[in-house]
Amino acid sequence: MAVRRRYKLWLVAVFLIVGLFSLSRFSVGSWPMLVSWPALEVLHAPVQWWGSFSLWFKDSAALQEQFLAFRKKAEQQAALIQESNALREENRQLRKILDISGIKGYRWHAAKVRGRSPEKMSQRILLQVYGVSRDDVIVSSEGLVGVVDSTSDNHATVRTIFDASLSVPVTIPGKSLAALSRGQGKSLAIDFVPLAAAPEPGEILYTSGAGGMYPPGIAVARITNVQPIPGQLFVTVSAEPVAHWQRDNWLAVASHLHEAP
Amino acid sequence: MIALVVGLSAFLGMSLNLAFSASLTQPDWSLALLLAAMLAHRKNWLWVLPCTLMHDLMLHWSVGISFIIMALIPFAMIYLDQSLGPGIPQRVLLLMIAVTLSLTEWGWGLQTVLLTLCLCVPLWYMLTGLYAKKTA
Repeated sequence: MAVRRRYKLWLVAVFLIVGLFSLSRFSVGSWPMLVSWPALEVLHAPVQWWGSFSLWFKDSAALQEQFLAFRKKAEQQAALIQESNALREENRQLRKILDISGIKGYRWHAAKVRGRSPEKMSQRILLQVYGVSRDDVIVSSEGLVGVVDSTSDNHATVRTIFDASLSVPVTIPGKSLAALSRGQGKSLAIDFVPLAAAPEPGEILYTSGAGGMYPPGIAVARITNVQPIPGQLFVTVSAEPVAHWQRDNWLAVASHLHEAP
Repeated sequence: MIALVVGLSAFLGMSLNLAFSASLTQPDWSLALLLAAMLAHRKNWLWVLPCTLMHDLMLHWSVGISFIIMALIPFAMIYLDQSLGPGIPQRVLLLMIAVTLSLTEWGWGLQTVLLTLCLCVPLWYMLTGLYAKKTA
């Protein structure tokens, strides 16, 4: 009787493993993370309160010093803005002469990071942002981060370039390379790199703009390893992301501008 | 009542993991709570498994190995209790396997694994005490 019961137990366990393993192959989506935003807002609130409260105990001399430093920085930035405006105009005129078009078809805006999945390099991020839609591109000050996966009224979830479902067309400026960067969970794999055009470790890959999903010229990955395989047309290339989004509290969103029908 | 408190605390733990993963090294609060509840009373699988499913979906957008391991723990407990008798070493082994496999599969750091183990043991002790008091 005991043997029969044990046999049944193992049978159920085996069926359970097979069933659950099949279930785990399906990606369910980002909605559970998206619905968690009210809880995240509540958890962030005490941190913000503490930030405001601690200002009361700051020494007024220190605050005065900070104010003067900010004012000096603002003056420097005003000068820089003036210089950049002059350069922008010059750039516009040169582009007109050379007949080169800039990055068009995108609207840029900022988004506050509200949550991120807890791996060493997060694969998913929750943003507080307005007016974005699925597949909008997320960029940090260093490079490409990922794309918007789902949105609610004022929040959006982001699938980073580590995610296996994301492939980014990449190139190296000045070279004829047209490769594809693919997420591998903890690193990036660069596909379709011919032996003749194999990059050196340390070189940076940029978005090529092919396919129209990503704006061209954004840094994506730094090559870490190039492995030629005898008899194969393409080399095995691995890379790491240029952007370090684990540290960033703000990210930029490039929304596609859809032309009116 | 215990199930409700543990379930809500697990949800709070998941939110803590999401909100402060960049600024603090934290244990997997919800996994520690749910695993402790499962080890304290194997019949708890009825509500622990849906909570584990939610844990995987919320943090990783997919059903992962933690759910599979949590689903197998009651079977392992029945088998081990029948063949070796109820004992702490078997359960400690299950706890270590579950935490290590679940978290390393998702790419969590070693510190997180150790913190989760350190959190799970006192929670397990506390919940076992509560269930014993309830039965008495």
